[in-house]
Amino acid sequence: MARYGMVLDYKNCINCKACEVACKEENGILLGADKHRIWVGTGEIEGEYPLLSIASSAFIPSQCQHCDEAPCQEVCPTNATYYNENGVVCIDPDKCILCSYCMNACPYDARYVDTRAMVIDKCTFCSDTRLARGETTTACQNTCPTKVRIFGDLDDPNSEISEVLRTREHFSLKSHLGTEPKLFYLT
Amino acid sequence: MKIAEIKEFITTIPYNKVSLKDLLSFEKTKVNILLAVVTVSFLAMFIIGVAIYLSHGHHAYNVTREHPWGLLIAVYIFFVVSSTGLCIVGSLGDVFGFKDYMEISKRAIFGSIVTIMAGFAVIAFEIGHPVTMLIYNVLTPGFTSAIWWMGTLYGLYLTFMIIEFIFLLKNDMKMARYFGLTGLLVGLAAHSNLGGVFGFLNARTISNGVFYPTYFILTAFITGIYLAFIMYGFRYKLDFTQSATKMLSNLAKIQGLLLSILIFFVTWKMLTDIYGGMPNRSEVAIHILQSWTFWAEVFLAMIIPLVLIIASSGQSIKALFWASLSGMVGIFFMRYNLVHDTQLKPLQMLKTTEYQLVPTWVEYFPSSTEIMISLGGVGLCLFLYYLGTKLFNLDAATTH
Repeated sequence: MARYGMVLDYKNCINCKACEVACKEENGILLGADKHRIWVGTGEIEGEYPLLSIASSAFIPSQCQHCDEAPCQEVCPTNATYYNENGVVCIDPDKCILCSYCMNACPYDARYVDTRAMVIDKCTFCSDTRLARGETTTACQNTCPTKVRIFGDLDDPNSEISEVLRTREHFSLKSHLGTEPKLFYLT
Repeated sequence: MKIAEIKEFITTIPYNKVSLKDLLSFEKTKVNILLAVVTVSFLAMFIIGVAIYLSHGHHAYNVTREHPWGLLIAVYIFFVVSSTGLCIVGSLGDVFGFKDYMEISKRAIFGSIVTIMAGFAVIAFEIGHPVTMLIYNVLTPGFTSAIWWMGTLYGLYLTFMIIEFIFLLKNDMKMARYFGLTGLLVGLAAHSNLGGVFGFLNARTISNGVFYPTYFILTAFITGIYLAFIMYGFRYKLDFTQSATKMLSNLAKIQGLLLSILIFFVTWKMLTDIYGGMPNRSEVAIHILQSWTFWAEVFLAMIIPLVLIIASSGQSIKALFWASLSGMVGIFFMRYNLVHDTQLKPLQMLKTTEYQLVPTWVEYFPSSTEIMISLGGVGLCLFLYYLGTKLFNLDAATTH
């Protein structure tokens, strides 16, 4: 059993959105701007010309944070949202009643209604596709041209992700909410 | 209990045999005809709305990824609050033994059954998989979910209310008291869990906390009293009997106190929201203060009824009937605001996939299908209540 997480060296992101495309292709995500498991966040440039803040215009790729204390899992009335054996937050489509409570409870806006399967969908770290085929990378990570993403087992001290987290400063999004995300951003 | 005894128990429930002709025959006053037209129109809207929903699914609604809960959730809350409120009012007499309120027990308990059934009818077309819900609510219950507790307890509550109503019809006050007390406690637990559905959301700081679970009980009682005035106003055509006047006058005084407490609560909620220094809370509260729906809630549900109660010392029952109609419109805005305000603030994940610029506030206005199903819920409520007045004697047993 692993405990999968992801590190994002977000300052390397060039906003090419190849990760968004790869995710849609690999996982069969519906077309449409609001149907996405992952996205590239774009900070608005602050200040007035010519005193513009270049630092404010960072690209911040994001997705489900696969929280250890996931609010979406706690509020699910039928336990359709569950942690799989690798600590990945997944959804059992047979049990989902489409009450949308998880969409309201998720602080990261990571969930949406898949109107084809009629289920709430979200990132699963490619658990049903690439990982199920025995691969060890996610689609977004594999395609990234600037190698923003590092995916791996947080419990394995010899994994690349553990090594990076030991040696680089990092932060998590909205960590004050106590969700204990497994997505880490390198500073 | 043997099967024969159960059969006998059911067959001896007193009710009037009603034909279709009886249903269509009512006193042809202007108000009655207007109500009949409204009820039939709303029921027709319900059928049309449901047909559109069944054809197009959630595409027929204006709910979005950013605003997943819309009008139907608000209307569901509106109905279940009404139900809990009527249960509280009905319990004053038959559970707590206050004799002055005994005469409204049967009517209020029947009203609580009708309103929750209308609520269930509306929510069935908001939940994407209602049948799956019934199955997996039992097979894999989510005990940490306020929705699970709320839904399960409301199911139990409806059962207890029906049993209590049957005992009231049979004039078995002892058994009615047992089931009434159990139903009341289960209903209060269910209703506070509905507040908990919002109170547990740590992603939405405007709703998070203890406020809603407690406030829901208070506003339920207020809603129940408004509905008691409305039901009695129609029952007696505003020409109240002496006992009804006494009861309603007492209820008006209780309502005055409850409304004062509510205004006090809401004032402090706003003050702590705005000045409490919690991230993402004060700007949302200020935005709420600038919305007309908030002031509709405040004036229609709180200020107008309270001023009338104080001005007449709770004695002007006719004026309070009209104030109660205003109150119920205000209560609707209260529920709508609760649902919409919770989702006002975008979750700030810097998304520009859907927008060129991330919006400051999430916008929502219900679609025609949502409005039709919601009005249909009101039509269903009116129709079931009318059916009840034909089928059962809803007045106290001593008055006939």
